[in-house]
Amino acid sequence: MKIRNFSIIAHIDHGKSTLADRLLQATKAVSQREARAQMLDSMDLERERGITIKASAVTVRHTWKGEEYELNFIDTPGHVDFTYEVSRALKACEGAVLVVDSTQGVQAQTVANAYLAVAGDLTIIPVVNKIDLPAAAPERVAMEIEQVFGFAAEDCILVSAKTGQGINELLDAICEKLPEPKAPTTTKLRGLVFDAKYDEYRGVVMYVRIFDGQLRQGDKIRMMGTGRTFSVTELLRYTPFPQKVKELSLSQVGSVCAGMKTLGDVRVGDTITLDIDPAETALEGYEEPKQMVFCDFYPSSADEQGKKSDFEALREAIEKLHLNDASFTFETQHSEALGFGFRCGFLGLLHMDIVQERLEREGGVSIVQTAPTVSYIIDLNDGTELEIHNPADLPDLSRVKAIREPIVRIEIICPNENIGDLMKLCEARRGIFQSQEMISETRQILKYEIPLAEIIYDFYDKLKSVTRGYGTMDYQIICYREDRLVKVQILVNAEPVEALSLICHRDNAEQRSRAILTKLKDQIDRHQFEIPLQAAIGGKIIARESIKAMRKNVTAKCYGGDVSRKRKLLEKQKEGKKRMKQIGSVTIPQEAFMAILDQGD
Amino acid sequence: MEPVPLPQAGGAPAARPLSDWLPRLAAARPRGAYAHVPFCFHKCHYCDFYSFVDTKDRQGAFVDRLLEEARAASVLAREPLETLFVGGGTPTLLADHELERMLRGLRAMLPWADGAEWTVEANPETVTEGKAAVLASCGVTRVSMGAQSFQPALLRQLERHHDPASVARAVGLLRAAGIARLNIDLIFAIPTSTMAEWQDDLAQALALAPDHLSCYGLVYEPGTPLRARLEAGGVERLDEELEAGMYEHTAATLAAAGFHHYEISNWAKPGEECRHNLLYWEDGEWIALGPSASGHAAGLRWKNVAVLQEWLEHGPWSPVRSVEALDEDGRIGEAFLMGLRLLDGMREERVRALLDHGARATQRRAAIDAALARGDMEWSSGRLRFSERGVLTSDSVLRELL
Repeated sequence: MKIRNFSIIAHIDHGKSTLADRLLQATKAVSQREARAQMLDSMDLERERGITIKASAVTVRHTWKGEEYELNFIDTPGHVDFTYEVSRALKACEGAVLVVDSTQGVQAQTVANAYLAVAGDLTIIPVVNKIDLPAAAPERVAMEIEQVFGFAAEDCILVSAKTGQGINELLDAICEKLPEPKAPTTTKLRGLVFDAKYDEYRGVVMYVRIFDGQLRQGDKIRMMGTGRTFSVTELLRYTPFPQKVKELSLSQVGSVCAGMKTLGDVRVGDTITLDIDPAETALEGYEEPKQMVFCDFYPSSADEQGKKSDFEALREAIEKLHLNDASFTFETQHSEALGFGFRCGFLGLLHMDIVQERLEREGGVSIVQTAPTVSYIIDLNDGTELEIHNPADLPDLSRVKAIREPIVRIEIICPNENIGDLMKLCEARRGIFQSQEMISETRQILKYEIPLAEIIYDFYDKLKSVTRGYGTMDYQIICYREDRLVKVQILVNAEPVEALSLICHRDNAEQRSRAILTKLKDQIDRHQFEIPLQAAIGGKIIARESIKAMRKNVTAKCYGGDVSRKRKLLEKQKEGKKRMKQIGSVTIPQEAFMAILDQGD
Repeated sequence: MEPVPLPQAGGAPAARPLSDWLPRLAAARPRGAYAHVPFCFHKCHYCDFYSFVDTKDRQGAFVDRLLEEARAASVLAREPLETLFVGGGTPTLLADHELERMLRGLRAMLPWADGAEWTVEANPETVTEGKAAVLASCGVTRVSMGAQSFQPALLRQLERHHDPASVARAVGLLRAAGIARLNIDLIFAIPTSTMAEWQDDLAQALALAPDHLSCYGLVYEPGTPLRARLEAGGVERLDEELEAGMYEHTAATLAAAGFHHYEISNWAKPGEECRHNLLYWEDGEWIALGPSASGHAAGLRWKNVAVLQEWLEHGPWSPVRSVEALDEDGRIGEAFLMGLRLLDGMREERVRALLDHGARATQRRAAIDAALARGDMEWSSGRLRFSERGVLTSDSVLRELL
């Protein structure tokens, strides 16, 4: 039987999952009743957010010109935070269906995903979706696709995943236009692990595309990257419901269970071969996932001296989630301000949000999240380099030759009239202009290189407000680059507070410092003495503020009937103070640390 | 005016008569009594005392019931009582004959020491020649007059509707009737008020030659209309610096006028301190009469039910909804909380004794040492006290002593 392996790629909410469901229905793989909305997304959270976090693979059949085809549909995450995962999933395919919403047009993630598909040498079928909507402008959107990607507008397939219009034509095109899988280059087994999930009953489930040879139940397999061996206990294909099979043969896609206990046992991108008869070389393309964005999670009821159970509950939730998502990192962190928690690393901002939400939802813990920072590479004078995720870890400046920060290439798609404002925004964030191109009469694509640190706070919100919601952006890390970065220390009553220190560009240091000191001034209660607040770079004060001494905190009336109430009032105040952090003789409320970390402009 | 809504019996724990605690109260050694008269003309916007607008029809029942309670409570008064304080509400709103019946009844029901101090709170508008005569003839030795302010605009802010001139008139009537000891209550830091207005208030009060002044920084008590207005942004709190300045001005002015600053908000000519209130601050014991009145004896603090009807219907002992028996740390904390309100502070032996006990002794000692180091507290003539400067921020220290 002929085989076609493909993915659907799209900007968020352009209808990828609905289209996937419709394809399954059209091929009679799923009955109407079983067609839960967005079947391939197995997690509630994914369904709610309309994004697919983990890839799945579904096998269906379609008859074209009297011949039956096996279609293996490999689902990909919709966001390029998961670039690596998307690229692994695409690696398992020969073709991609590029879906664009006919009411929205080409958006930033459309572009980013299409670039990945092109880079992976995939054949692309452009599809204009949602043509049933009154606001649909399929011709104009097809022109955009031609303008941006160079596919002829008339080659776009117009579909409505909702009504089913154009679906058969699309299935036909998948059979007709997508290439056959390449012939094997060796007789020995080589299977690409393009995704892995954790299943409570089965343990680790690996999703595999067979490039060479075949895999049978009971085979002893070797992971070529790690060298570890496992025995295959179960092979499954999804139609879309899991069905046990005895083997996965050439070019086929399915899942493998091999007694792996945690996702740490398997690396997406690794190659499976037979332990007894191994292939000589692995399939190319394996990389370690790289965490770019970092933040701390603390239990929201952190009480430093008090009970540890909230911290333990958070630890359990994180460890459990990590079984499911090995691409975030975590290590115990102790903050002066917030007590015990975890410093976590994420692939990107969306990834961070998802992990936090899953911890709260699935782990049932309530989390205080600090504002994100990026990872910096510190070049030391002795020629070595050091990666830090926390300004507090910056070594003594006398040892530091240079500080390098991650730079992203950002693509922004926006209406013409917003170009000026967005360029201003990017320039203010140390962006380096790359290009500006029309994608249609009304919209443009703007490309900048910009430090990741400059876009992780509020850049997206600013973009949305400048463009009244019409702008979209996506980014990819391209390199680490040196800049005039400095560490700003904040001193409260002459004591440096590490939890408040930050790394920023020298030119922005004064402005950022003043903003922080102003917020601190609002958040810290007056004390019985004046409190100087200072910001310093290497001992040199660059900004200062002060909190005046408290003048009045006295109970005017306290007679016989007032004692209990006044005592309780003061006890409550004292309780409130307990949850604050004592820095020297100054108490700083937790909120002050959050307000500082949550800084915009 | 509607009476303030009060907690109803529904959700609250069932009230039990105070007599349930009689075995424990056997150790009571009260030295005073507080009687609460819950009637007012009008509920003032800053007031959080239990009171409501008088409808006159329950005055007689109130006095009957109060005397019944006094008769029952007399078993607690093993020694003659030294002080009576009749507060409210507005005690002087009682009709002359009811006021007289109440005072004479209290005199008869309870044992009184020679020279006992009897204070009655008065609203200046209610003081007539007849009322003054009743007070004097029933042995009232001291009247506390709620003047609050002499500025009509500021009185309106407080929803006080008396004519400022009525204060002088009332003082005149009381003096003429033979009541020598007079306190005037003033409130400063009323929204929009200025230093000049406050200086004028003090001057007008001093012109009446009281022997005692209570000057309170305005408190936005939870549950009062004033607090609601503050939270809704309808009034603005006076600047902290200005309020502190007003307080300092008060201390300086009254010291110059020969007053002794003996408690955070109280000044007296030497020897004219309110002995009843000293009981509160010196951790003394007293009995409670009337709805919502609080008592303290034998290590218990209790509060009578705050609903007039409920109190009227259950006797002779008042139902009580909250009775507290504090543990050692609680008692030590309250002793400091009250004792250090006195500007002369607490005797060294007493302080040392309190600091020798309790689970939080170490923290208490540290807080006192820090306050001494800052100059907010001082040792003076064998007593620990707040310095004049430290008084203004005393809550920051007192909460650490709880």
